[in-house]
Amino acid sequence: MLEVRVPGLHATIQDAGRPGAAAYGIPPSGACDPLALAAANLLLGNDPAAPALEMELLGAELIVREPCLVAVAGAEMEAVIPEDGRRIRPGTSHLLRGGSTLVFGAARDGARTYLALAGGIDLPRVLGSASTAPVGGIGGIGGRPVAAGDLLRPADPDRLDGAGRHWPGPGPASGVAGHAGPRTIHVLEGPHAADLPRDALRLLLSTAWTVTPRSDRAGLRLAGPPLPPASGPEPASFGMTWGAIQVPAGGAPILLLADHPTVGGYRVIAVAASADRPALGQVQAGDELRFARIDLATALRLAADADAELAAAGARLRMAEPMA
Amino acid sequence: MSTGDPAPAGPRVVPYGDRAVLAILGEGVDTMLGRRVLALAERVRAASMGGAAGWGAPVPGFASLLVPVDPARLHPDAARAELAGWLTEILATDPPAEPAGLVLEIPVRYGGADGPDLPEVAARCGLTEAQVAELHAASVYRVFCLGFVPGFAYLGPLPERLALPRRPEPRLRVPEGSVAIAGRQTGVYPFATAGGWHLIGRTTVRPWDLRRDPPALLRPGDRVRFVPAGDEEGG
Repeated sequence: MLEVRVPGLHATIQDAGRPGAAAYGIPPSGACDPLALAAANLLLGNDPAAPALEMELLGAELIVREPCLVAVAGAEMEAVIPEDGRRIRPGTSHLLRGGSTLVFGAARDGARTYLALAGGIDLPRVLGSASTAPVGGIGGIGGRPVAAGDLLRPADPDRLDGAGRHWPGPGPASGVAGHAGPRTIHVLEGPHAADLPRDALRLLLSTAWTVTPRSDRAGLRLAGPPLPPASGPEPASFGMTWGAIQVPAGGAPILLLADHPTVGGYRVIAVAASADRPALGQVQAGDELRFARIDLATALRLAADADAELAAAGARLRMAEPMA
Repeated sequence: MSTGDPAPAGPRVVPYGDRAVLAILGEGVDTMLGRRVLALAERVRAASMGGAAGWGAPVPGFASLLVPVDPARLHPDAARAELAGWLTEILATDPPAEPAGLVLEIPVRYGGADGPDLPEVAARCGLTEAQVAELHAASVYRVFCLGFVPGFAYLGPLPERLALPRRPEPRLRVPEGSVAIAGRQTGVYPFATAGGWHLIGRTTVRPWDLRRDPPALLRPGDRVRFVPAGDEEGG
């Protein structure tokens, strides 16, 4: 069991989210980088979508109240155990001794790092998920980001065997995320691409967009040349989806992430390919994004390839060290 | 592919990324369209419960339906074709009647500190404050959809005489329970949040309560009437 001494910038409990609740206005939530969530969980033999701690940009400081098996994946956050000087790299599992501490620093090569416990973090499910949705106060611990004094209990506290594993899957050895430099995100043409002036899509695809500090788990707000507005009234409010790139009247696009509003009225010029969800979950303010258009067949192939890679990594992990 | 030509205006089912499709039935706040949206959602749920694989839980909009698909089990193009067939059938017939019996009554204190925009709304509509309240409370509204935040019900159609564009600058914080109008829509803010609608009153009814199951008080297709609370104060 771990106790939160300092929560860091923004730490929340996340799993695969509650995609079925959007008709109630409830955002899907869930890990911004589902690949890193899966990797952290699979390192411990958990369900890949078990609840874990998602830490944004500046990580938490945790006190180990009882010996605890953990795994870390996602961005490199310079985690250390000061008592014995151990460094905790993303993509590894560890046994933490009672009385020690686990201290995360600032994210270096991404935005989000995931901490998994044996069996997942033990929390009740709300509408099928333990994910935190702060707007509406659902899930997680008290429906809010993690705070000092919160306890993170493993669902399987007696499982202490499984330290020393390394993630054999996609991503460089330093971590599961590990994307550096400008990122190219694959997009599909959106439902309103043809309503907007023809220059809008061209400009979207030819611009290096900068992610602004007004970005969060709800969406990335992008700075660049304003996209030309459509003539005519905005559509009546319609359902929003992860990855939708909205064009508000001012022309600065917003790319929706896990905590997105369930409906909106801004036109959607393009939608990110679901295979790029992990990459978009590791974007932070100041990063540069480019968009490359692909067709549906390519998007489906990329998604199937990513699923296959994850499954293969999980299988390699089980073969290397059979888990109970 | 984007030619800048005017978009096709008729009902259609369009791609929406690689994990969803969007059925667009029309435009605007129109009860008949809203009923057809729910009829289409019902077809999706029925297919799903009947064992058809890959359909997610549909999300109604005012005149559209977002349908999530799991592409590993249902190709989005196959989903579009299926939906287009259902849509054609639904458009060819009268949408099924919605349960007419129950109308949820929401008490409202109009104006004053509870509805700080009421004087401006009245002035812009050429009405007295009392007339605005009366008009707002005279209609039975239909829930078209829920969102943008948990439990916020988009109600309509608001009487044409009260239709105003949103405020140019949204408020950073609208108090919970605020009763607001914009365009042909009205609604109740379920909790304190940013908002760009005109605040004309406030209610003690909570559209969002985690102690309830489900926490959202209203569902698409439900009907609502606002009742002035304490006529001697609000009149």
